[in-house]
Amino acid sequence: MDWLSNQIGPDWARAVGQLIGINVGFIAVLMIVAYTVLAERRVLGFIQGRLGPNRVGPGGLFQPFADLLKFIFKEEITPSSSTRFIYFLAPIIAITAALMPIIVYPFGPRVWLPGIGYFHLVIARFDIALLYVLGITSVGVYGIALAGWSSNSKYSLMGGLRASAQMISYELSLGLSLVGVVLMSGTLDLYSIVEQQGGWGGMRWNLFDISRVPQVIGFITYLISAIAETNRVPFDLPEAETELVAGFHTEYSALKFALFFMAEYVNMFTVSMLATVLFLGGWQGPFVDVFPWLGILWFILKVSFFLFLYIWLRGTLPRFRFDQLMSFGWKFLLPVAIFNVVLTATILFFRLR
Amino acid sequence: MANNELQQLLPVLLFILFGGMALGFAVAMVAQRNPLYSAVSLIGVFISLACLYLTLQAPFIAAIQVIVYAGAIMVLVVFVIMLLNVEEEVRRPVRLRYLVPVGVLLAAVLVGEATFMLQVGRGAAPDHFLPSRPSDVGLTASIGTGMYTKYLLPFEVTSVLILMALVGAITLARQGRAPLLAAPGNVTEEQPRLTAGGGPALKPGDTAATGRAFARAQIASGEAAAPSSGAREEEG
Repeated sequence: MDWLSNQIGPDWARAVGQLIGINVGFIAVLMIVAYTVLAERRVLGFIQGRLGPNRVGPGGLFQPFADLLKFIFKEEITPSSSTRFIYFLAPIIAITAALMPIIVYPFGPRVWLPGIGYFHLVIARFDIALLYVLGITSVGVYGIALAGWSSNSKYSLMGGLRASAQMISYELSLGLSLVGVVLMSGTLDLYSIVEQQGGWGGMRWNLFDISRVPQVIGFITYLISAIAETNRVPFDLPEAETELVAGFHTEYSALKFALFFMAEYVNMFTVSMLATVLFLGGWQGPFVDVFPWLGILWFILKVSFFLFLYIWLRGTLPRFRFDQLMSFGWKFLLPVAIFNVVLTATILFFRLR
Repeated sequence: MANNELQQLLPVLLFILFGGMALGFAVAMVAQRNPLYSAVSLIGVFISLACLYLTLQAPFIAAIQVIVYAGAIMVLVVFVIMLLNVEEEVRRPVRLRYLVPVGVLLAAVLVGEATFMLQVGRGAAPDHFLPSRPSDVGLTASIGTGMYTKYLLPFEVTSVLILMALVGAITLARQGRAPLLAAPGNVTEEQPRLTAGGGPALKPGDTAATGRAFARAQIASGEAAAPSSGAREEEG
């Protein structure tokens, strides 16, 4: 790193470092997504009393690559009466919007490596990281809405409408349940939010922080709206097979379908990371101040917990009806999230005075 | 040093890139016949503008631009286009013929104004785009402080205005309308329609509820036998 900054100056060295970090991050996330899919199939299998895919490689470990090859070699079918340009644009928007937020999540503390020196385990750190995540997530709706519209199929259209209505509705309670944490931390920078959760042996997470306001209500509303936001069971109305075939991606085949599929799992992964960072203390945990590299392990463990929760819920819960989904989001979840904002603000006002 | 020159040049290149994108998307938005293509172009304009705000070191405004305009308002526009299934515009409306000279005139005024501003302001503005000393304009904390102290009254008045618009929209939408969603509890059971002979009749488009009412009327008038208790439970 020092050699690089001598050659091209510190600003450019940082830019090159971030570019490498972004690419490594993308590849890592796509690998994690591939194995989340495998984990989902295996865990669902065990929940339902069967084995799941275990033939390709030891314990089915190469199954994701087999699936990918299958997706690549399948026939590409384009509906003849689709709106061509938007039909091809939609999966691109979906996967781009899903991948873009991953660069802001801090996955470890300040560490030291020989030859590089001290550095923070976060790819990009900036003032408005949380708003950036929310902004990119809100653009992701277009992928689904446009896919449903451009396919020129009634199942796709209904699926796209349902999905975008659901995502707009639950985005509100998702954003509002984060406000409590932002009020406590006084910053939108995710790295600083995690840093502030240090103390009590690494267990002073926003979820239990009784010295300020424990964000239990915020955590629960966030979790529910995050599941709805990623269109997962029990909120997977947009792709209810019994009613809509496959929802917005009915007319998509081969790699274009794979892009939507990947986008769904990347979204799952990013909302799990956001929950970890904001409520469960990110990389904070016991012994992190002694041995900083342990932070990565705590982070991975916490994110895996959320991913497992997603799969567990899918194996357990039935699906909502659409009007139940809407009235739950607007008449229950949103008021509760607003109540949490008011409660947190009031308690903080009296504590900080 | 060449490196330094490149750093001076980079903001200019970014400005040309995003400014060009914004202009291109804006032209595409006006020129498209398909309303959904126009909407997508408008989203492109908003995102390019957000990138321009970023190059001007106003990250908060950039994020709000994306969240509010691209993420909320345009989603509703796309939603309405999808719901109403707006058809592609086949031919230009006749009134546009009179609007073309007006548009050209207004564009000429705008270009003249911009040229005048550039001529007057030349020399006063710095040569490079980024301010030399760090400024806190556009950062989250400074905007929050300003909004909740110095500009509290305008902020509150604006929110009252938006609330009025919201209430007005709901009032207009609900006037003399049945609830849109056919959910249990929302649908009232209609009385069965009668044919010329006086007996109840079913028409295409009747709901399950009218069908049930029809069956009940038939049972009451003795035309049909009452179903067994199991079937009646299913009916409820």
